[in-house]
Amino acid sequence: MARRLPAAVLALPSLLALLFLTACTGGDAGEEPPDADNRRRIVVASGQDVTGKNGIRQQLIDVWNAEEGPQGFEARLVELPGSADQQRSQLLGALQSGSARYDVVNLDVTWVPEFADAGLIRPLTDAAVRSPDDIIPSVDRTSYWKGKRYAVPFNSDAGLLYYRKDHLREAGVSRTDLSDGVTWDELRDQIDAVKGHFGPQGHEGWATQLAPYEGRTVNAIEAFTSAVPGLRLTDDDGEYAATVEQLTAGVAELRARTSPPYTFDEASESREAESLSAFAEGRTTFLRHWPYVYPTLHETYGKNLGVTRLPGKAVLGGQNLAVTSSTSEQRAAKAAELIAFLTDPDSERCLLRAGFAATRVSAYQEPGTAPACRHAPAYAETPSASPTGEGTVRLPPDRIADGVSFSRDILLPSLREGVHRPRTPLYGAVTHTLITELDALYGPSPREGRPGDAEIAKSLDEALRKVLPG
Amino acid sequence: MSRFDPRGEVNRALLAAVSEYDHTAPHPQGVTGQLPAVRHNRTTLEDALHRSAVFGAHEVRALASPTPDEFTGALRRACQEARGLLLVYFAGHAVTSTSGNELHLQMRTARVLTGDGLPGSVTFSEVLGELVESRAQQVVVILDCCYAGNAAEIWHRFDDPKRKKHKILLLMSVQPNRCILGGDAEVATPFTREVVRVLDAGGEVWLSELYAAVKERMDAAKYKAEADDSQRPQALAPPWDPDADVLLAAGPVDPHDDTEDTPGWFSWLRRPFARVRESIGLFGRTVVALVLAFVAIGATGYGVVVLTGGSGPCEPTLELRVLTDPDLEPAMRAAADAYFASDANTTEDGCPRSGVTVYSAGAAHVVTALGEHSDPWQQPREDVNPQRDIGPQPDVWIPATRADVDRATDAQVERVFARLEPDDGPLAYSPVVLAVPESLDADLPPTGRSLPELVRTLKDSDGTAQVRRPDPEFSDSALLATVGLYGDGADVRGAEGLISRAGRPEPSAVRLLCTLPADDAADDRSAVLVPEFLLRSGVGCHSVTRAERTAVYPDDVPGLEPTFVRVRWEGGDRDVQARDDRVDRFRDWLAGKDGREVLGRQGFRSATGERELLAGKAADHGLTDSVPPADPADATQMDRTLERYGNAHGPGRVLYLLDSSGSMAGLWDGPSGGPGILKQTLTGLGRGDEYGVWAVHGVKGPTHTDLLDFGRHSRKEAEKALGTGRGGAEVRAAEADPRAALLDALAFMRERGAGDERPQLIVYLTDGEDDNRLAGDRLREVEDRARESGVPVVMVMLKSGGCDRDRPGTRVAQATQGRCLDAGDDLVPALRDEVARTGTGEE
Repeated sequence: MARRLPAAVLALPSLLALLFLTACTGGDAGEEPPDADNRRRIVVASGQDVTGKNGIRQQLIDVWNAEEGPQGFEARLVELPGSADQQRSQLLGALQSGSARYDVVNLDVTWVPEFADAGLIRPLTDAAVRSPDDIIPSVDRTSYWKGKRYAVPFNSDAGLLYYRKDHLREAGVSRTDLSDGVTWDELRDQIDAVKGHFGPQGHEGWATQLAPYEGRTVNAIEAFTSAVPGLRLTDDDGEYAATVEQLTAGVAELRARTSPPYTFDEASESREAESLSAFAEGRTTFLRHWPYVYPTLHETYGKNLGVTRLPGKAVLGGQNLAVTSSTSEQRAAKAAELIAFLTDPDSERCLLRAGFAATRVSAYQEPGTAPACRHAPAYAETPSASPTGEGTVRLPPDRIADGVSFSRDILLPSLREGVHRPRTPLYGAVTHTLITELDALYGPSPREGRPGDAEIAKSLDEALRKVLPG
Repeated sequence: MSRFDPRGEVNRALLAAVSEYDHTAPHPQGVTGQLPAVRHNRTTLEDALHRSAVFGAHEVRALASPTPDEFTGALRRACQEARGLLLVYFAGHAVTSTSGNELHLQMRTARVLTGDGLPGSVTFSEVLGELVESRAQQVVVILDCCYAGNAAEIWHRFDDPKRKKHKILLLMSVQPNRCILGGDAEVATPFTREVVRVLDAGGEVWLSELYAAVKERMDAAKYKAEADDSQRPQALAPPWDPDADVLLAAGPVDPHDDTEDTPGWFSWLRRPFARVRESIGLFGRTVVALVLAFVAIGATGYGVVVLTGGSGPCEPTLELRVLTDPDLEPAMRAAADAYFASDANTTEDGCPRSGVTVYSAGAAHVVTALGEHSDPWQQPREDVNPQRDIGPQPDVWIPATRADVDRATDAQVERVFARLEPDDGPLAYSPVVLAVPESLDADLPPTGRSLPELVRTLKDSDGTAQVRRPDPEFSDSALLATVGLYGDGADVRGAEGLISRAGRPEPSAVRLLCTLPADDAADDRSAVLVPEFLLRSGVGCHSVTRAERTAVYPDDVPGLEPTFVRVRWEGGDRDVQARDDRVDRFRDWLAGKDGREVLGRQGFRSATGERELLAGKAADHGLTDSVPPADPADATQMDRTLERYGNAHGPGRVLYLLDSSGSMAGLWDGPSGGPGILKQTLTGLGRGDEYGVWAVHGVKGPTHTDLLDFGRHSRKEAEKALGTGRGGAEVRAAEADPRAALLDALAFMRERGAGDERPQLIVYLTDGEDDNRLAGDRLREVEDRARESGVPVVMVMLKSGGCDRDRPGTRVAQATQGRCLDAGDDLVPALRDEVARTGTGEE
């Protein structure tokens, strides 16, 4: 096997200089010499962004590097596969074994307890986060485990409800603007009205994600926490904390929401892409989806598109930046500075303008009062006017009907009130259990018919007890 | 809420400790028993609060076993009086409603009636109702009772439009839906005892610290709730924001404090107990029971503090990354799932030892990555990043044949960062077969013929018969079939002529078997080259009816011999012993009886001997029982066949069209930007291939300019042209006309390809911002011309839903049997595969 020797230590004088430095600083055993170009690296590992927005992340990193200057550190973004399972596997495997070096890792919010509990990421000090008060509290809570901050939210996410105003108008529904919110009962009434008007063909209620993958867990948690307010499947220590009665209420709600009259035919096989297609093709009037599809849908449907908060509870998604335990103290300190930069109010404003759900309240303020996006010039507030009229970047339209702001009035409240998926180091086992047990609702229908809510809840309770302590 | 220091304010603490009840069992309506420990709760907490330097002498009120009226009266008064901090403490019996939605705090007169009647108790909702109306700036409620943790849910559900409840913080003695035990009659209950110890430790004690410390202490002491559950205190809602915290005590630091450093009562108890736990394996549980009886002296009938270790939370699992061939992925995933739940992967405490993630990537790409790119696989470069394009760095690699290991090892000449350690023998065996639809009635002999012979006989017997094979660059089974198909390699083009070229080859046999039945006519007349095991486990795709097929076994096609390979990464030895142990366990299980059972169900045969099926009957799946194995695969032969396959169609031509209009600015930089994505596909092109890049911009006059002339190029040249910034790829302040650019491109490629059969491809990468110029008649015109040209077009739409039904990108791609790729998680690998199929590959 080869030894990876940085070019700088191949020359004797450099080697001596290095030894001297080590002795003087008291020896930071894990510290590397500068690379051949005299810059020390901070490696940032992040999944390939499937929504095509890694450009903004790269731009923010480029600006930090420029501020560091030629003698400073250089942050380098290493892209991992787009598949979340593979990202998690590589990050865990590499940090446990040392098969690759990462200093900063971008973790899905559901992974923070697992990485923290396993000691793979380190508790962070105030140096890693600027103006923590500004971070949306529900979003910030995803960064903690057992009372300590292990990460800083980079970008958030929350389920939203998209709908077709033209369908509602044609169906003669009295309320065609739902910006103020809607309840599940109203939603079901509206679906009935649309179906009554158009006939069931081509108008199949709402589209969502119920295929056996993470989307099913998200939909289940949204239904469960709507039916039983405050319900948590796990407590602060990740121990099981639910009852069969609570689960029964949750399963009943999930079943009521997703029963055939209200969802489209292939709902139980649909993921993000399929549900988006069903709505984009006009087959459903409503869609539960993430904020990133808003620009595309707006482009397709223009004023006929409506978007509002999901009725009941919406699950929080997103990613948080953390510093690995395996990195040296010197790089860890620098990595904390990098995280503070990438998540500061300026960066978050840029991320919002690039189409991410920003994690800070300030990012959502009116232009002029919000922090300026200076870290990524392409997303700055006043892009140089293009003679063709085509802007240099495509900004999502923020104004929706009646002066309602998409980001401030729909997205921000959804994030503020967002609910968490179970926070446990055993999240993988929990989500797998939920997905498998809910096959009783969405898998092939058994000859004797599907089991009742209480029966499903009992089996789910037993299965969760098996995988979780408590 | 902010960090709140109540010193100097008008504060109140109300302690309700119900140790004596008027009605206890065996009274039919009584509570379970008296709670002598709670008396100590009251006195010790009251003392601690007096010493806290937060509450003044008259600010603490302790109620000994109050009635409901006494309690609510005192509560109301405290609410009215407090201006700073209001602390309310309750210890006693409590019950929940069956739904868990209410918590009834049982006072002195409590009774339990048949039905829902609970006289003598106060609901927690009622307490909250009083507290939100209080004038205190901050309220802290501490509950030490059964189901204390349910209070959090009640708080959440509490209807409070004015958000006044947010000043109320909760500290609860136990997780939701759990009852706790009454404790030792001589001392306070465990939770309150620990709260008092922390408050008494001296110095500033903030609520967040109190919670963390109590939790840690209770965890260390392994206190138990009912039913052997551990007792875990809760708070609403940690993590505490350091700026949203309450100071509860600021007493002097006691220099003689023994709670942390010197062995106090608890550490005394813990130490012998630790020894007892260690001895469990030797003496069995009786010893534990005896010792527990000893330590529980003085406990009341209410319950004892049970200190058994029991099953604590599981240790984090060690993650195994398992890379395999695309055709093996479903089978290996089934095996890994079974292994995860197996005894072999479970500790004595019932915890999993390792997590296993199975993934796959194109076999030829994996061989190249392990052979030549282990360096960037460990430290990715901008141009080569196997971490993204192949997947995680594997701990275990299970290729379809041992020969792949030799191919990779042969290529490892310099800068090798992954060492491959293959097992001696394969895990199982599965021949590559020609699966012939029964409707073709070809009457082929099941064994004893070469593949070219079989294919010719089939085609002679039925002129409509076709033979389909997945992509040999992606799936090993297809490459092995191609080894047989080419024979000595004298007439590669002739051999390729035997394979159907309708459309592009599917990447894997799994995909081929799944997609073929969608077209009944094609399904009925297509014989497919696939591994035998998939005729059993690869035919259950969702809602498809398929042609029945019979397997014919060519004698010149090497079979699949999945082999277990340990991959060791340079420097990846931080947990080497544990990792070796987990890898060994997985291997032993997979190669043992349990693993064979799973692989048998998947349709595999025995790795050695007569190669009999590991499970099931051959006839049920159109198979033959006994099949003499062909010669094993040979590395050199596979490499040569792959090279010949690439050359069979000659070097290719690829024309890239890169939307460079203004709207692309946000999709330009980095590896996910337009130029970056195209750059990553250059690995599919070699020196013999011709290619070029057009920058698409402008709507009047020329609608594109050359970024890279069409012709042969070195990789470096092409990468430079696609570099962003001045002198390279630049976004223009202009709109684009996709129709005009595509029509030009189709005409250009049609002209080039007029004189030969070389594969061609157009790649158009855009954000779809100018799709309005590709609609209606204009779109139909492009579709028609694309169809006539015969040049496949890959439309890369850098936005979600860009490839939905009837979108322009989808329609253009469909018209040419090309592909539309949008912002999905496989965009870059899929595009690279498309380009690699056209080009000759690595330089």
